[in-house]
Amino acid sequence: MAISIAAEWEALYNRYYRKLEVYTMCWNGIDLSRHKVACARFGGPIAMVRDESKMVQLRAESARAKLLLFSASGKLLSSVPWDRPGGRLITLGWTDEEILLAVVHDGTVFQYNIHGELIPEQLSLGQECWDQGVADCIIWGSGLVVITEQNQLFSIPNLETKKVVKLADPHLEDPPHCMAVVEPQYTFSGKLEVLLAVGPSVLVVDEDNFQDQMVDFGPIQKMTLSSNGNFLACFTHDGRLLVVLTDFSKTLLEHTTESALPPEQLVWCGVDSVLLYWEEQLVMVGPYGDVVRFSYDEPIVLTPECDGVRILSNTYMEFLQRVPDSTVSIFKIGSTSPAAMLYDALEQFDKRSAKADENIRLISDKLPEAVGDCIDAAGHEFDISLQRTLLRAAAYGRAFCRKFDRDQFQDMCRTLRVLNAVRQFEIGIPLSIQQFKDLTAPVLVARLVNAHRHLLALRISEYLDLSKEVVLVHWACTKIIASSDVPDAILLDVLLEKLKVCPGISYATVAADAHRNGRQKLAALLLDYEPRASEQVPLLTSMGEEERALVKAIESGDTDLVYFSILHIWRQKPLPDFFRIIQAKSLARHLFVAYARQNDPEILKKFFISIGQLQSAAEVFLKESWSYSRNMGTRSGSALQGPRLKAIDQASELYAQTKEHMFEAKAAEEQGKLLKLQQELEISTGQPIFVDSSVSDTIRTLITLGNHRAAQRVKVDFKVPDKRYYWLKVFALATAKQWDALEKFSKERKPPIGYKPFVEACIEEEENQEALKYIVKLTNPEERAEAYARIGMVKEATEAAAQAKDNELLGRLRSTFGQNTPAGALFDSLRDRLSLT
Amino acid sequence: MAQLPNLDNGPVNLSNLREQAQRELGEVLDSMRGKKVLVLDPQLSGPLALIAQTSLLKEHGVENLYYVDADPVQTECKNVIYLVRPRIPLMKQIVAHIEQDNGRQLQKSYSVIFMPRRTIVCEKVLDEVKAVGNVTIREFPLYFIPFDEDVLSLELERSFKETKVDGDTSSLWYMARAITKLQELYGVIPNVKGKGKAASQVSDILLRMQREQAPPLPASAKPPEIDTLILIDRQVDMVTPMCSQLTYEGVIDEFIQINNGAVEVEPSVMGAPPSNNAQVSTKKVKVPLNSSDKLYREIRDLNFGVVGQVLRQKAVSIKQDYSDVTAADNQSISDVKDFVKKLNVLPEITRHVNIAQHLSKFTTKPTFLSRLSMEQTLVEGQNYDASFTYVEEMIHRQEPIESVLRLLILLSVTNNGLPKKHYDYLRRELLHSYGFEHMFTLSNLEKAGLLIKQEAKSNWQAVKKGINLVPEENDDINPSDIAYVFSGYAPLSIRLVQWALRGEWQQSEFLRLLPGATFERFEKNQEVNIIRRETVPSTDSVPGTDARRLVILVIFIGGVTFAEISALRFLESQEGMKYDFIIATTKLVNGTTLVKSLIDDPSAS
Repeated sequence: MAISIAAEWEALYNRYYRKLEVYTMCWNGIDLSRHKVACARFGGPIAMVRDESKMVQLRAESARAKLLLFSASGKLLSSVPWDRPGGRLITLGWTDEEILLAVVHDGTVFQYNIHGELIPEQLSLGQECWDQGVADCIIWGSGLVVITEQNQLFSIPNLETKKVVKLADPHLEDPPHCMAVVEPQYTFSGKLEVLLAVGPSVLVVDEDNFQDQMVDFGPIQKMTLSSNGNFLACFTHDGRLLVVLTDFSKTLLEHTTESALPPEQLVWCGVDSVLLYWEEQLVMVGPYGDVVRFSYDEPIVLTPECDGVRILSNTYMEFLQRVPDSTVSIFKIGSTSPAAMLYDALEQFDKRSAKADENIRLISDKLPEAVGDCIDAAGHEFDISLQRTLLRAAAYGRAFCRKFDRDQFQDMCRTLRVLNAVRQFEIGIPLSIQQFKDLTAPVLVARLVNAHRHLLALRISEYLDLSKEVVLVHWACTKIIASSDVPDAILLDVLLEKLKVCPGISYATVAADAHRNGRQKLAALLLDYEPRASEQVPLLTSMGEEERALVKAIESGDTDLVYFSILHIWRQKPLPDFFRIIQAKSLARHLFVAYARQNDPEILKKFFISIGQLQSAAEVFLKESWSYSRNMGTRSGSALQGPRLKAIDQASELYAQTKEHMFEAKAAEEQGKLLKLQQELEISTGQPIFVDSSVSDTIRTLITLGNHRAAQRVKVDFKVPDKRYYWLKVFALATAKQWDALEKFSKERKPPIGYKPFVEACIEEEENQEALKYIVKLTNPEERAEAYARIGMVKEATEAAAQAKDNELLGRLRSTFGQNTPAGALFDSLRDRLSLT
Repeated sequence: MAQLPNLDNGPVNLSNLREQAQRELGEVLDSMRGKKVLVLDPQLSGPLALIAQTSLLKEHGVENLYYVDADPVQTECKNVIYLVRPRIPLMKQIVAHIEQDNGRQLQKSYSVIFMPRRTIVCEKVLDEVKAVGNVTIREFPLYFIPFDEDVLSLELERSFKETKVDGDTSSLWYMARAITKLQELYGVIPNVKGKGKAASQVSDILLRMQREQAPPLPASAKPPEIDTLILIDRQVDMVTPMCSQLTYEGVIDEFIQINNGAVEVEPSVMGAPPSNNAQVSTKKVKVPLNSSDKLYREIRDLNFGVVGQVLRQKAVSIKQDYSDVTAADNQSISDVKDFVKKLNVLPEITRHVNIAQHLSKFTTKPTFLSRLSMEQTLVEGQNYDASFTYVEEMIHRQEPIESVLRLLILLSVTNNGLPKKHYDYLRRELLHSYGFEHMFTLSNLEKAGLLIKQEAKSNWQAVKKGINLVPEENDDINPSDIAYVFSGYAPLSIRLVQWALRGEWQQSEFLRLLPGATFERFEKNQEVNIIRRETVPSTDSVPGTDARRLVILVIFIGGVTFAEISALRFLESQEGMKYDFIIATTKLVNGTTLVKSLIDDPSAS
């Protein structure tokens, strides 16, 4: 270990910076100065293409340019010839999804994945841009903007929607000195703004218009926005570095450099210092104008990260960052902070020195803070042995703490294991802990998966309790593509072996991928393992296996899925085939019938007839007959009943064809007969009151109207039983208050329904005197008692009840009359008498 | 809108369920920004009132409430939300509305929210207007609606008919989904028992859904709060709903229809003085009926014959207290305070006295009494001829068809169908009396197995004796058996529940006499069981106190009556009973509503 870790720090006013060597690049003979280079943020890969705008000496290499992709540790990921049409390459840049964008002179944007494979979809900035030619371009994580040789600005502000937007014309004669972008998430309007340095000032251009910021310190040769979008660093023609607020309202820093030439690169380090790079010299300017210089004898490329800058040279990958507070408190020379004391205590403890205990005692009340700092500092280290020492110090201190959150320690260990794993040389993702937190674990896993680091991604997912599904599904899809010559059955076994570790994984997604890659059989085999019918059915359907899809849908019990299948087959197949398929499956048949009943009765008739279910077809006809009654304008017009009668006839015929449905056939026949009869009645009486009423109602109406002959005819025609006819007639006469007729009717012969209905009919019409005529004819004393009671003849009721010797009846009668009435008393006395006997 | 029922005191806390529903409702309403009008499926207004009060709708920007109707809503508002059940006729109306708006060049945004979920057939209808209008489709996944602290319902009115007549099993899928959602809140139910075809279908779908779901991470696996699920297909017991309910709540439902936990009655019933203004007096009063009403909670499950007495006692005791308070001078303040507290129940007593008085007008009618004795005769299954004649006469008198069909179904079910001669005769008399449109009704009843031709001998007697449906002794006042809810008939469905709890299930001989499969399964997940053991509170070691009571979820697929719910509550209150029940169903029904759902009106579209 170095004598002092702090010895390597650079002080910048009141803070320290440190430069860590992360990797020694493992590439050979790469000279950054000969290439256009793009480094992805968050420790992502490096892309480069030979820079045709520079004079370079070809050594032992092909004259054809190549697109080279490296990991951040310099491991070659891919090398493909750079032979894209469209003129010279303007800019390379990475998106947040780690897709490499290459913008060429005619405004075409080529997209590559990190394996150097061209993504088929091409973006273009449009005809106008094509005509004018691209002069310069800026690419950020989620969009890009170009300026043409005629100083027009075109942008794709959001790579997800891929919409090309032309910005307002800034009316420039000459190209701007330089250009910067305010990403949409940092502007007030939420729209992209482009800053152009023109003359001494700066123009802000957006979609709709442009505005001069009336700045006078220009001309500005180079400008860069800080990573939080708040500050703008500008390098002016006279060698000054200015830091201003992005809206130019305030200048925060003015620093005169020793060079009038603009730096090759101008980059923010965090949000409080700016790096300027001239050949062989890297200058860092702090917030109060303090300066630190580093010299480089080889070209470098600066990549801003959220918490520092990565410096790539031909030989090294370095990381320059502000030293975190916890680290300062421990390692600052002469520090007596609790954390430093704790760290020292561990050293003493290891030396078996009693001073360890002394240290601990000194800081006893601040121990939790010290432990927290040690844990935090461990997180910021790239050096594994230093991480370990710091964690040991934390663990040592924790032993003396009464209460300390265990999780903090465990979480840090967990995080560090993940970070150390991805920082490994072979993987080459040099994430700092802060970057990891910003990136989030699921995104890291997705990046690993994209880089085909499936095993590591799986381990990390397991370790961090993330869903393994993403990793496994991606792996399976990659495996399918890579195994085009492996037989289905063998490949299936290989896939299942791995997929089964994750219950609930979407086999359908993998199957869909197999299907896309032309492995139909494999897709079908995989689908059998998918438990979710909602995933299975649509895929089977799109694979042309409609009948299997239908079977699966039915098994699931999800009627919506069954409908999905039915409607699909209905569209795809000839009608007879469709009917055959539907008929065989009862749920499908029922659902189809329910649907067709509401939407398409005609097809329903065809269906039932084709499958020989004639009684069901008859029902459809019968239903149709009723639908006519709804739309009937006038009922008496006999012509209008034509279609209705026809439908009824058809129904009757269809019923008649099966022996089991003779009843229905007869009923339908009668329905037709009744309708005809009612029509005649409406014509003869001139009253539209018969159609759509029942046989019984027709009889009642006729009797009420006094048309007894017609009523008698209906009775005969429809073989109405005597009993029913009596009920109808009694009540109809009572309603019509034809008391004489009623009495006459009662005397025609002994009524088959007795006299009770006569009594009831009179009481309902509140004609107690009429009722009395029939009450006396009631033979059953109980009935008589109740009848008397109903018309309030208490004494007679009591007598009848007594005759019936029915105690329960008496009780009931008593309750009807209430307790305190004389009638009630009468019942009581009777009851007493009865119970005595 | 009336106050929401209190859900906090149930065997499991169902307010979680309602809060979830409120949250989800808020989210779907917010999915359309700005002010909006809400156009409701008329079927949904009742259930929605049990979930949220109007203020919640206002909070989420709803300015006005309309119902889906033949005419489009007349509103200036640019944002229109339709909240509907997935029903094709409604879709057609919505399409017509949007087309009309378009014809008038009204630029509006529409959102169609399906409850509980979107369906392909409905979306297909909407596709016609999706191209022309700004229409988005969303879901409001509300399945179970909490009616009371122990009652849940899907409120799918057509569930029984669709399943048993049309063969459309959508509601079974909904039920399985509803149980799954319940399990997400209260843990996976480890024991499942069931009887009947629909029950086993629901169980199968449920099992499948459990399998389809990725197993939850160990940390999020909930210990089950519900111990056993009992699934009963309504078809197994069609006798019970056809009988007239005789509990207080049941009688209310039979005569003045409880809808969505409330009844609507004439103001005069509730003791309002007859108003001079005719218009005001016609407006019905809505009376909520749930366990938030303490008195109702006490008397709802009693036999109606007892309710009068209980109410009288309550009133008398208050009167007694009153005279004590006024008579003695040495009353302490706390005595007076106690008395005043008691006075709080006065409005409730008045309310129920009014309702009970109103109901007694119906229950003392001789026709009702003779009907009750006929029902008893039918259930005992002893006197076929008398029953036949009784039904025949009802048809001849053209009594309301629902009440005729209730008895006819009883007759058919207890006799395993009618002899061919009677079958054809009664069907013909029905068609002649009520019209040939009832051809469809008869066909529906036949498909559902409720009115059929007798093919084999009935085993009703064996069933009746096997589980003692008509106990020798019955006491409505101090009941010792559930038979009190029908004054002498113990509902078959609840006997099944008792049987299931006793543990004799799949082995039972007599269960085979009833239609459909008998099944039983245990969740094999060992982990679940271990967690359960740990959560059994060990503090209950005080002698005499209850050990932990197990919660049983009883689900009636196809509907449940209030009398059956009362019977379960009665069981729960019995000494030595270690179970609490939660009752869930596709729809709260009674015989009349159930029969109505089977009556097809062919002249309505």
